[in-house]
Amino acid sequence: MTTPQNVLVMIKQVPDQSAKAGINPDGTIDRAKAKRMLNPFDRFGLQGALTVKKLTGAKVTAITMGPPPAVEILLEALSQGVDKCILLSDRRLAASDTWATSYALSKVIEYTGPFDLIFCGLQTTDGDTAQVGPEIAERLNLPQVSYCEDFKLEDGKFLARRVMEGGHQWVSMAMPGLVTVANSYHHLEYPSIRGVQKVQRLQRDEEALKALIETVDLDIVKADPKECGLKGSPTIVARTDKVGELGGSCVLHQGETIPTMVRDVMGAASALKEFALA
Amino acid sequence: MTDTPQPSAPNAETPSAPVTPPAAEPLPTIVTPSNKEVVIIAEHFKGTLQPVTYELLGIGRDLADKLGGKLSCFLLGFNIKEQAQSLIAAGADEVYLADHPELELYRTLPYKRVITEFIKGWELPPHIVLLGSSTTGRDLAPRVAACLGTGLTADCTELDIGPYEHTNKADPDKLGIYPGCLYAIRPSFGESLKARILGPWNNPQMATARPGTFIPLKPDANRTGVVTDIPINLQGEDFRLSVLEIVHEISKGVDLADAEVIVSGGYGLGSADGFKLMEELAACFKNSGVGASRKVVDVGWIPYQNQIGQTGKTVRPKLYIACGISGAIQHRVGMDKSTTIIAINKDASAPIFKFAHHGIVGDVYQVVPELIAQLKAAQGSCPTVKEPALV
Ligand SMILES: Cc1cc2nc3c(=O)[nH]c(=O)nc-3n(C[C@H](O)[C@H](O)[C@H](O)COP(=O)(O)OP(=O)(O)OC[C@H]3O[C@@H](n4cnc5c(N)ncnc54)[C@H](O)[C@@H]3O)c2cc1C
Ligand SMILES: Nc1ncnc2c1ncn2[C@@H]1O[C@H](COP(=O)(O)O)[C@@H](O)[C@H]1O
Repeated sequence: MTTPQNVLVMIKQVPDQSAKAGINPDGTIDRAKAKRMLNPFDRFGLQGALTVKKLTGAKVTAITMGPPPAVEILLEALSQGVDKCILLSDRRLAASDTWATSYALSKVIEYTGPFDLIFCGLQTTDGDTAQVGPEIAERLNLPQVSYCEDFKLEDGKFLARRVMEGGHQWVSMAMPGLVTVANSYHHLEYPSIRGVQKVQRLQRDEEALKALIETVDLDIVKADPKECGLKGSPTIVARTDKVGELGGSCVLHQGETIPTMVRDVMGAASALKEFALA
Repeated sequence: MTDTPQPSAPNAETPSAPVTPPAAEPLPTIVTPSNKEVVIIAEHFKGTLQPVTYELLGIGRDLADKLGGKLSCFLLGFNIKEQAQSLIAAGADEVYLADHPELELYRTLPYKRVITEFIKGWELPPHIVLLGSSTTGRDLAPRVAACLGTGLTADCTELDIGPYEHTNKADPDKLGIYPGCLYAIRPSFGESLKARILGPWNNPQMATARPGTFIPLKPDANRTGVVTDIPINLQGEDFRLSVLEIVHEISKGVDLADAEVIVSGGYGLGSADGFKLMEELAACFKNSGVGASRKVVDVGWIPYQNQIGQTGKTVRPKLYIACGISGAIQHRVGMDKSTTIIAINKDASAPIFKFAHHGIVGDVYQVVPELIAQLKAAQGSCPTVKEPALV
């Protein structure tokens, strides 16, 4: 019978799309200028891990891979109640795709672990693939529950409610295992004032902070640089295209009275009358 | 580090902008070994094949013909043999059948084992493997890709075959021209870009495709194909997860996927109350439903089931009326195949007017009531809303 004692959560810092800063006019991102934030989906993963902590008193570790500013989201995780953080930061990771990312992250997990449960967000808002979690599970030979929207611990098993098309299912997973949490997981809590204050105190105490946030590189976690970054990535973005204007033939009505514009569209768009109830 | 993009997250720093190679040394042509086969992994729910499988066979047929290869389809399940014929009628040349009680319900590990062990036994790998980006496909595809040691592109909205010239000197071992690459195309982070993602160095090249995006072939009962039973060697560790129960939620109202008319509301509605007006407009049409942009789902004005777009549903109704929706690429990919698109937005420069067929620049709260009034006048009367049209 397993009671999870060591829980891991994988979190990522992403550009904040709602802030216009750093979004070029052509829609590309200038990451140096872009505002950054915790991947919104990872709040749900984080909450899942902290819920296990509440249930079993487990120790929660957060891992992120990213450039040095990613430490910001680790501080946020600490303020939420995470116990320990690891930042994997290495220039050789540049341009990693999900395969290379999951390789590097699985190496950090092997270096830090073992863990009874690993929580991930469903997906990131920049990578937006929902692949990194299951790929880590494959590399570590773990069972997985993806799209988890609720769970309980029972008889040493992880019982999860999982989203499916047209409904949901309940599954029972042996631990250790990996979970990706859907954004329909409804138990989100926000950082307490005490948590935030604790982190503010920590930020003034470099030694204490170092004990809580460990920064590692590929050598420390014994990852092969050839499997990482551009070289280790089996996929590349070959090009990006501005999305063309479909048809490009919108009949635009403006500047007239509303009844006139509506009448004109009623006349031109035959579908309106065709599908209207008789 | 991930300040440079994952393949699905292109940005200004994308290192692979095509540059002309120096004329002196022409690039070698590199053909990565494969048997040219395009493989689909069928998805079914308790034995009923899901529409996305037929859609994948439609695009898969096209890709296989372009490659001059075979189109095959994995079918795993229990008492599912009869379904093999409908896969063949829908375009498959060969069906790899694994019929076993333990495969009755989808589970990640047993399905992954059967599929990957079979493919690993081939002399040459398949060229392409495709799955739907449903909750099942997105669960299985990354496991299969990681197990086969190959790349995977998520949530594609277009798929094609073509050559690729790799000229990026940062990666000299890979310089060359690769014919027959899978072009996996998907909307990218940012508002108006599509990214073409390639993985030419390894076969199979893998992608998941959005349900509702591709068109199935007309089923042809005269089409012939082979059904092959494949080995099933499940191990104890494949049963670390078991399915306890499946709950099918009967959705009320019309399923958006089948609706002929969709009235969608966006953040321009200003509040959750705006959806009452959307329901009222939808109630003027037969077989209609209410859709939404992600922004209004995120703020909780309407449930996720109503979301249309890249991370929601893909729909192709006869008539789509977008109210207070800006028309971001992530919304557009979910609805731009609608036959007629009417947009109502108070900003004449909103991107939605670039691809709608008819546009009215104005306030939704003035335009929609007038539209309802004129529809009622034209048709006698619209029934009042009895049941919410939300799915
Ligand atoms: C990874 C990722 C996935 C995404 N997936 C999806 C998805 O599946 N579906 C989706 O829709 N989006 C998705 N998005 C979000 C998308 O980029 C847009 O942010 C979103 O579609 C915007 O919603 P909106 O048009 O309702 O809101 P806004 O962009 O805020 O637009 C509101 C519009 O309403 C107009 N307006 C305001 N008031 C009025 C009024 N009184 N009358 C008339 N018009 C008015 C404004 O002019 C504006 O054009 C995704 C984004 C990312 C990064
Ligand atoms: N660089 C990263 N560092 C830590 N976790 C990550 C990273 N990238 C992805 N993940 C995890 O994997 C999930 C899915 O990401 P993605 O496949 O990019 O959509 C995220 O929600 C995170 O939990």
